[in-house]
Amino acid sequence: MEIKVIKNILGENDRFAAENMALFKDKNVFVVNFMGSPGAGKTSVLERTMEKLGSTLRMAVIEGDLFTSKDADRIDKYGVPVIQINTAGGCHLDANMVQKTAKDIDLDALDLLVIENVGNLVCPAEFALGEDARAVVLSVTEGDDKPMKYPLMFKESEIALINKIDLAPYCNFDRKSAKEDIEMLHPGIVVQEVSCTTGEGIDAWCDWLKAGVAKKKGQ
Amino acid sequence: MCKECGCGETNGNTRLQFTVEGYTEELAKDVEKALFGLPGVLFVHIHAHDGETTVDYAPKKTKLMDILGVFQKRGLEAQL
Ligand SMILES: Nc1nc2c(ncn2[C@@H]2O[C@H](COP(=O)(O)OP(=O)(O)OP(=O)(O)O)[C@@H](O)[C@H]2O)c(=O)[nH]1
Ligand SMILES: [Mg+2]
Ligand SMILES: [Zn+2]
Repeated sequence: MEIKVIKNILGENDRFAAENMALFKDKNVFVVNFMGSPGAGKTSVLERTMEKLGSTLRMAVIEGDLFTSKDADRIDKYGVPVIQINTAGGCHLDANMVQKTAKDIDLDALDLLVIENVGNLVCPAEFALGEDARAVVLSVTEGDDKPMKYPLMFKESEIALINKIDLAPYCNFDRKSAKEDIEMLHPGIVVQEVSCTTGEGIDAWCDWLKAGVAKKKGQ
Repeated sequence: MCKECGCGETNGNTRLQFTVEGYTEELAKDVEKALFGLPGVLFVHIHAHDGETTVDYAPKKTKLMDILGVFQKRGLEAQL
């Protein structure tokens, strides 16, 4: 019986997600659901992204967080519109939360909307938000075995960023094996090594975002 | 966390366990890779020596026929 309730919730989420998707399509905004473990470097990648793309793309960020607005404060420093969603302990964002929040964003003035999900390598993968693409950040400090241990996240993402690559030599992180596992779980996924410290790979990530924006606009 | 919201626990996945005859170490690796690449397949474990094969998959995302097809394509037979 309990299973039924959960199915209902998921079914309801899909309905909200479909509505969000229609809205984002109507406004031609490329929307990315940005996921990964606590501390993987999601906000740090966004900071580097805003530095690179801030003047060429019209961007906004939704920050999902349990209680605080610490990440939103970091984004705000870059002058990029940011809205905070506090899940009050909830382990993932859902489409209804995003729908309520999207009402407060001027979508007509945007090319790109990034939704930083709650730090969690499991649950967010199960909840569509109406996004065009999902991106997962895995950092080398988490270990190269994580893709096989948390497969759904990698199966559901179009791109996987392997972050903190500057630390790889200190973490016994087997880059080849991690990449092979991710590609096995999701044939065709883009795997990109990045470092927010050195800036390595950030250009390639930004190019991927720009391509998504261009495609959404039908260019 | 996940226990509170229930997500992840009831993702609709099913676990199949069956025997497959004719594995070599290489074939088993190849099958494992092909199965993992299918949508909704979250876990694969193969004992090449006795043919015991475990697959955790989402019937909503991949049909049983597609799972079985992976074996057929390689001349193997899954005994469900
Ligand atoms: N050495 C190194 N440290 C990094 C890198 N990227 C992020 N960090 C550090 O990792 C820590 C966590 O980064 P955040 O960007 O806050 O991670 P997050 O994924 O947004 O975390 P949550 O939002 O809490 O889930 C910070 O101390 C960053 O400075 C990197 O490429 N190299
Ligand atoms: Mg963050
Ligand atoms: Zn959860």
